[in-house]
Amino acid sequence: MELTAGQQAILEGARGPYLAGCMRWLVEWGEVMGARRLIRCDNTHVLLPAPNLVARGASPRTLEAFCEGLKQACRHPVAPHCVATVHTLFVTLDEIEAPENDPAQVRVQREIAELAARAGYLPTFTCAPYLVGNVPLKGEICAWTESSAVVYANSILGARTTRHGNESAIAASLLGLAPEFGVLLEENRRGDLRVRVSAELRHPTDWGALGYFTGGRAGLGIPVFEGVRRPSQEEAKQLCAALATSGGVTMCHIAGVTPEAPSLEAAFDRRPPAECVEFTPQGLRDTYASLRDARGDEIDAVILGCPHASLREIAQAARRLEGRRVAEGVRLWINAARATRCAAEAMGAAQVIQAAGGRILCDTCPTNMRIPCRRLVTDGFKQAHYARAMTGAEVIVADTESCLRAALAGRWQGDA
Amino acid sequence: MPEPVVLRGRPVVRGRAEGPALVADATLSFWGEVDPVSGRVIGRGHPLEGNSLAGRVLVIRSTRGSSATPMVLNLAKLEGTAPAAFINVEVDSLAVLGAIVNRIPMITDLERNPFECIRTGDYVVVDAEAGLIEIRPATP
Repeated sequence: MELTAGQQAILEGARGPYLAGCMRWLVEWGEVMGARRLIRCDNTHVLLPAPNLVARGASPRTLEAFCEGLKQACRHPVAPHCVATVHTLFVTLDEIEAPENDPAQVRVQREIAELAARAGYLPTFTCAPYLVGNVPLKGEICAWTESSAVVYANSILGARTTRHGNESAIAASLLGLAPEFGVLLEENRRGDLRVRVSAELRHPTDWGALGYFTGGRAGLGIPVFEGVRRPSQEEAKQLCAALATSGGVTMCHIAGVTPEAPSLEAAFDRRPPAECVEFTPQGLRDTYASLRDARGDEIDAVILGCPHASLREIAQAARRLEGRRVAEGVRLWINAARATRCAAEAMGAAQVIQAAGGRILCDTCPTNMRIPCRRLVTDGFKQAHYARAMTGAEVIVADTESCLRAALAGRWQGDA
Repeated sequence: MPEPVVLRGRPVVRGRAEGPALVADATLSFWGEVDPVSGRVIGRGHPLEGNSLAGRVLVIRSTRGSSATPMVLNLAKLEGTAPAAFINVEVDSLAVLGAIVNRIPMITDLERNPFECIRTGDYVVVDAEAGLIEIRPATP
């Protein structure tokens, strides 16, 4: 890789050992991935979580070493031209007495958050930064963690980011640079899998099913959807999250809809391949069936907001819950960014949900917190997929209305 | 005793390591499918479910999914449960980052299909400086 004199100097320690290490990560990573240079990056979304809950039982030395790494990063200022929002944590910073919200971890996380804010990181603590003001423009070079947000930024917004991990995103935010490879380059943004959609997509969860079906077939490729209407923001969110759950997808196109796919031909930049995968009504049913392994009807958790809920989703849930009561023994949690909850509080929706016995969980999500449950109903394919693996829960994935009905009844009542 | 087999590949992340192979023609997400403390694969229904990655030469198609891959690898490395080396068919940028940060050698583009010539339990020496692996087949 060719470095400028300034970049070379940082690599050699001109701005201290930590930034030299950051530069080494970007350079070595870029070289392996075929980058020829580092380019200016104005927008980052970083991971700064105290990891106790994902590493339950780890030695104190491990946890301390990991958190010390994060603190060290936060002792350096974010590059002045760079927006830097922060991904979800593994705890909520709310004052709640939940045994899962380990107080020792909350303390460490608060320390990291304070250092981060001083360094210039914006405390969004969300997996959906595009819902709380980090909305990059078409062509904007970004370095984002959170695979679902990466797919959203590239596909729906036309911004450009490869899939980042915590170290590379931190390095990008401090140096304001990203290695130029993959979808940062125009020639790597064309589709390579044609997906014809003949199933009707009725709501965001159906779009999640399309993503979950396609991700497993696309692997690391770029799927192009044809035959679908323009999705709502919430539908696009579910599509992108599910694509990055069953596959390693970085971006997709929706022919005639997304910014870089004015037509099917444009999405492929050549004649569209003749062979294509079809998402049929049967495929839709099978995809739901693949994430429904509940052996009974009684449920103990309903989780919405994966990825984090939009204000509209919270308002809709509040309308449905107004004057009603979530069944005894069922946890109804709606995950959202703190900024979104503040708005929901201002409009009264948060209070309605709380009065009904629900909770808007901020900064994190129940899966990140490893909250155990036996049988979980959710409208997010990503949530269902990971909750099954990470908490051992039986899962049922269904549209939002069916989830809320189940929450009120205390049992799964079938699809609405 | 079967003869060791030496195969050429393309070094992705340099370094040398060795250990018993753990092989699956599958993708694996470190987030959600691997517990960094025990080092075991916890993904329900995953072909490697229940197996420990600690010290193994992990032969898989590629990693998949989450941007937390390097973080989980980092925790595993600190806990001493990380894989010794990766032999992948496809190169996933997040696995590469995790391997660079945690100094875990990675090799790809073997001259033969790794799923046909490496079996779980074979002892594999990975030289991702020279771009060579040596497979010492387990005695049946």
